[in-house]
Amino acid sequence: MTAFRRQYGAGPVHLLAVTASIAIAAYALSRVFDGADPMRVMLWMAGSIVAHDLVLLPLYALLGAIAGGALVPDARRSRARVAALNHLRAAALASGLLLLVWFPLIAAEAPRTYMRSTGLDVGVYLERWLLASAVLFGGSALLFALRVRRLARTPLPQSGS
Amino acid sequence: MERLPRLPAVGPFAAGFWRSPLRGPWLASLLSSALLPLVAVCALTGFLSHLAYQPRLDSNAIFGGPGPGNGFDVFGLGWPTSPSWLYAATQGLHVITGMAAIPVLLAKLWTVIPKLFENPPVRSLAHGLERLSLVLLVGGGLFTFATGVINIQLWYPFGFPFVPAHYYGAIVFVAALALHVGLKLPVLLRAFRQQGVLRPLREDLAHTRPEPGIPSEVTSAPTSAAAPTLTRRALVGGVGAAAVGLGAITAGQVVGGPARELAFLAPRGRTRPGPNGFPVNKTFAAVDIPRDRVGPDWRLRLIAGDERRAVLDRPELLRLPQVEAALPIACVEGWSTTQDWQGVRLLDLARMAGVDDPETAEVRSLQPGGPLSRVTLARDQVHHPHAMLALRVNGADLSLDHGFPARIMVPAIPGVHCTKWVKALRFS
Repeated sequence: MTAFRRQYGAGPVHLLAVTASIAIAAYALSRVFDGADPMRVMLWMAGSIVAHDLVLLPLYALLGAIAGGALVPDARRSRARVAALNHLRAAALASGLLLLVWFPLIAAEAPRTYMRSTGLDVGVYLERWLLASAVLFGGSALLFALRVRRLARTPLPQSGS
Repeated sequence: MERLPRLPAVGPFAAGFWRSPLRGPWLASLLSSALLPLVAVCALTGFLSHLAYQPRLDSNAIFGGPGPGNGFDVFGLGWPTSPSWLYAATQGLHVITGMAAIPVLLAKLWTVIPKLFENPPVRSLAHGLERLSLVLLVGGGLFTFATGVINIQLWYPFGFPFVPAHYYGAIVFVAALALHVGLKLPVLLRAFRQQGVLRPLREDLAHTRPEPGIPSEVTSAPTSAAAPTLTRRALVGGVGAAAVGLGAITAGQVVGGPARELAFLAPRGRTRPGPNGFPVNKTFAAVDIPRDRVGPDWRLRLIAGDERRAVLDRPELLRLPQVEAALPIACVEGWSTTQDWQGVRLLDLARMAGVDDPETAEVRSLQPGGPLSRVTLARDQVHHPHAMLALRVNGADLSLDHGFPARIMVPAIPGVHCTKWVKALRFS
């Protein structure tokens, strides 16, 4: 038993569970391949990992780091500056999330299909998203303006505290 | 086992690369605790939807032939006709919980992203297999979410059929998720015991410290953290608000009425004035039916077995006893709309065809081709007192977009089974 553990890195139940899970997933994957071009499916599955882990996440992390560096440089940390960063983050993330989720309608990827299905014009979604983003950024800025005076009076504990 | 090689400690593979003080096993555990119920409801309602299509009935198979090719049809169950809003509720929940899960899923992936770059990448055979299953977990999950979100917006860029891909993609996801939950539950419990389930949510910014990690576990906790700019409660609260908000603006197209306007970015968030102004799944213009086939020459054929028993025009149908009922059109895309329908009971039509106790009714549409031009209704669906061939809605004739001259309305069935532009009913 200990020999197994040393060779494998975990107990036999682990091996059973992992094998069962991978087997079911592999079977399901083979069923997807049945009625479709496997390359297209793999492209979408692997592509979704790459798109998230290596494109989307680094992109928003980078934008966040740039905003953080500009608004809250280490030497000039203050409650008001941290709050400004967070008000910007909240609005940008909410607006970005709406775009991410409703991108096909906002970017009018399939205007003809949309019209033929619903009888309506897909063009409204870009305006609606822009309006929602304006409300999010505007509302967040307004809230910040209301908070900033109070925040300026309270000092911020320094980093490492 | 001999030591496995490390990658050079550069970029994201270096221990000090990931600096957010908020990452760590407690945050991952809390987000997972919120994500799991959402995913569970979403998956369950998704598989129920497959059941609601009754794929074991002849013409209802939506992918492939019988058996596994038609999904894990192991339930052997029918789909009830009551309450009439059942499918609107389950499929609405499917899309609402799926949408609400997205911000939580993104936050969870943000929390654990350092583990993608853990170094050494493989510590043992067990660890290697576990990471392989994580590829299936993340790939299957993102694939299922992405295809679903894109499909409900009527964009089909996949190059493969959506339904089987979404269905079996979900099984890849669920199989990997079940393993992941089983393997990570001890880590979750240790993180909660160490930090308290909710205690870190009480810290203000001055008391927001990096998570310590868990002894003998590789975790996403930072080794050298930057100074915090956000409290954990602000992060968790923000994710929660995003989840509730996204769910709410999706729910508008399920609840309908004045709430429909809330769904301002959803595909079926709009109505037009008039008795036929409610949302349309597919317009008359989108299906290739010649205009003259739905004019005064339209006839309904009633068939028993292989024998034509009656042919009726629309005025004759309108002179038959009429039934009225408020029934929803409930779309697999997660929107629904309840309207007052009027028409002839299916059971009355079966009797006109000489079938007193029909087992099934096969509905044929003028709409050419496609898997849904023929739909089979089960026994309890045909027998339901509100199951009708609808001729009018909200006191007016059906519009062409809503299926004029006649459409099927049956309680609690998927919207696409409420066949429009009906040309024949075959009872057996």
